Amino acid sequence: MHALRSLSIANLRSFLRDRPALFWTLAFPILFIILFGTIFSGGGNPNYDVGWVDQDGTPAAAQVRTAFERTGLLTLHDGNLAEEQDAMRHGTISAIVVAPKGLGDALAAAQGGGVSGSVQLGLYTDPTRSTASATLLQIANGVATGLNLALSGRPPVVTIENQSLQTEQLSTVSYFVPSILAMALMQLGIFAAIPLVQQREKLILKRLNATPLPRWTLVVSNIAVRLVIAAVQTALLVAIGVWVLGVQLSGDWLRILAVVGIGAVTFVSIGYVIASFARTEEAANGMTSIVQFPLMFLSGIFFPLEIMPSWLRSVATFMPLTYLGDALRQVMVGGTPFVPLWADMAILGGWLVACLAISARFFRWQ
Amino acid sequence: MAASPELARPPQPDGVPVIDVHDVRKSYGDVRAVDGVSFQVAPGEIFGLLGPNGAGKTTTMEMLEGLHPPDSGRLTVLGLDVSHRAREIKERIGVQLQTPALFPQLTVEELLRLFGSFFKRHLDVEMLLRLLDLEEKRTARSKTLSGGQGQRLSVALALVNDPEVVFLDEPTTGLDPGARRRLWQVIGDLKAQGRAVLLTTHYLEEAEELCDRVAIMDHGRILDIGTSDELIGRRFHERAVQFDTIAALGTETMVGLPGVVRHKTEDGSTVLYTRDVPETIGGLLRAASAVGTEPRNLLVRRATLEDVFLELTGRALRD
Repeated sequence: MHALRSLSIANLRSFLRDRPALFWTLAFPILFIILFGTIFSGGGNPNYDVGWVDQDGTPAAAQVRTAFERTGLLTLHDGNLAEEQDAMRHGTISAIVVAPKGLGDALAAAQGGGVSGSVQLGLYTDPTRSTASATLLQIANGVATGLNLALSGRPPVVTIENQSLQTEQLSTVSYFVPSILAMALMQLGIFAAIPLVQQREKLILKRLNATPLPRWTLVVSNIAVRLVIAAVQTALLVAIGVWVLGVQLSGDWLRILAVVGIGAVTFVSIGYVIASFARTEEAANGMTSIVQFPLMFLSGIFFPLEIMPSWLRSVATFMPLTYLGDALRQVMVGGTPFVPLWADMAILGGWLVACLAISARFFRWQ
Repeated sequence: MAASPELARPPQPDGVPVIDVHDVRKSYGDVRAVDGVSFQVAPGEIFGLLGPNGAGKTTTMEMLEGLHPPDSGRLTVLGLDVSHRAREIKERIGVQLQTPALFPQLTVEELLRLFGSFFKRHLDVEMLLRLLDLEEKRTARSKTLSGGQGQRLSVALALVNDPEVVFLDEPTTGLDPGARRRLWQVIGDLKAQGRAVLLTTHYLEEAEELCDRVAIMDHGRILDIGTSDELIGRRFHERAVQFDTIAALGTETMVGLPGVVRHKTEDGSTVLYTRDVPETIGGLLRAASAVGTEPRNLLVRRATLEDVFLELTGRALRD
C-alpha cells in the first residue's frame, strides 16, 4: 500500500507540474463552459430585432405596434420599407412587419360591428434563417390571432397552457454543463495514454519493472490519479455551472459521482488501448486526436440527438461518449433519457471490459 | 566519498556464487544476442562484462535482472532461479539501466523516496545524497540534471534498497574523466561494503582499474574470462614497444629486430612485442636512422586488455 500511495503521489505531482496537461484537462473545459454559457444564456428566451414599417399612420396602427412589443420577444425599429429592407440585408434586423395603408380604417370598421374586408400585415423573413423565421411567423400569427379575438369581443374558448414535462426546466446551459463534463472526462481518460507512452519511451516502465513493484500497482495508481483529477474537474465545472451560469442541479451526489467514476475509468481504459498501439509519444498524440474529435462532435453531447440527421444519429449510437453524456444529463439535471440510465452504465461497462481485455493482450511494458 | 560505515554489510557466505549464469541463449529474430554464455560471480567481487556495443552485455545483464526471459539456459541470483523467483531477487538487487530512466518532473529527493517505498528495506535518503554527491541537487527536477548528475542519481537509485548485488550497465558512459574517477571510487566502496557488483563497460581502462575479473564478450559469446593479469599473461609474456608507423621500414625489418616475437600495425601505429626491450629499441633506432628518420611517439608498455581484445577479436575496442 505504501508503494501504491507514493507512486500515485508521484504520478499526481508529475501531472500537476506538466503545464500543458494541466491546461488541457482543467483550464480548457472551464474556458469552454464559460464561452458556451455566455453564448447560450441571456435570459433563456430569444429576442429578435424587427423592422416596423407604418404605412398607415393611424392610432390604431400604433396599437398594433404595441401588441407586437408586448410579446416581449421583439425589439422594434421604425423606418420606411426601403430603409428596413436595407437593414435586413445588412443583418441588423431579422424580419420586417409592414402595417399597410387602410389598417386603421379596417380595424375601426370591425370595431363598429360593420363587416369589412380583411387586412394583411406584411411579414418579411429570411428563409436561410429557418429557425428564426419560423419563430417570427408564429409570433406574428399569435399577435394577429389576439387582435382578431379582441375584435370579435368573445372570450377565447380553447387556450393552451404550456407545462414543461421535465421536473426542472432544461435550459440550453443546463444541457451543456453535463456535456462539457462528459467531454472533460473523455479527454482526461484518453490523454492518460500520453504519460504512459512517455514512461515507456523513457524506459521508466522498464526501470519500475526492475523493482519488486507489482504491475497492478502501476495500473491502479494511474487510474486512481485520473479519478482524483476527474473529481476536481467535476467540482470545478459544477461550481461554475451552479454559481456562474445558474444551472439547477439535482442533489444526487452519490449517483453523479458513480457515473463520473465509471465514465472516467472507461475512458482511461480507452487511453490504455491507445497506449497499447502507439509506439512513440508523437503517435500517441496523433491517435488521441483521431479518437477524441469524432467522439466530441458525433456523440450528441453538444447537439441533442433528436435534431441530428438520422445517419449522424446512427453514428452517435456507437459512441461511448453519447452514453456518458446521456447518463450525466439524467443524474445531474434530470435530462430526458436517450436510453435508461442502467443501459448507459451497461454500455459504458461493456466498453470498459472490452478495452481492458485489448490492453491486457497488447500493452507492452518495454 | 569515502567508504561509509552506515553501508557496511555482513559478509556473504563464502563459496556460493551470488550470480550463476549457465549456457544462456537469447535471440531476437535472426540475431543471436546471447549465444551460450556461462560465468559466475563470487560474493564481494566486482565482475566486468567487457565488449563493444551489440556484444550481448546488456541483454545478459537484463536477463539476470528478470527483465527478459532467456530462450534457454539457467540464471541464478543469490541462489534463486530468476525465472521463478524474480520478485524475491528484485527485492535484494540494485539495478542501474544503461539509459537513466527517471520521472522527468520529480526532484532528486522525491525520486529517492519514491524508489525507497518500493522495497521492504531501504537506506536513508540523506546518506545516499551524500554518498553520490547530490546534496546540492536534491530539489532539482530530474529533467534538469546534467549527464553526470543523472548517472549518479541512477546509481543512487540502484543502492536505495541496500542491495546485496548491484548491476551497473555502463555506469560511466558519457562522464568526464574526473566524474568517472569519482564514480569508480563509489563502486570500489560497494565492494568494500561486501556487495557484489556486475558491471558492463566498453572502457578497457575501467575494466582494468575496477574489476576483479573480466569476461570479454563479442557477438553474444564470452571469449575469455579472468583477472586482467591472467588474461594478459595467457597471451603476452612480452612487453610492447609502440610508435607511429614508419613507412620506410617493412615488415621483414620489424620482425628481424632483436628480441621481437610478433608485430602488429593498427591505425597508423606499430606495436612490437619483445622479450628484450633495450635490444629492440636500440635496433629500432639504428634501423630508423638508416632511413633518415626516428620513431615518433615511442612508448614502452606492458601488454594491456586492449592487446588482449585485439588478439581475441581481431579489432580494436574503441570508446
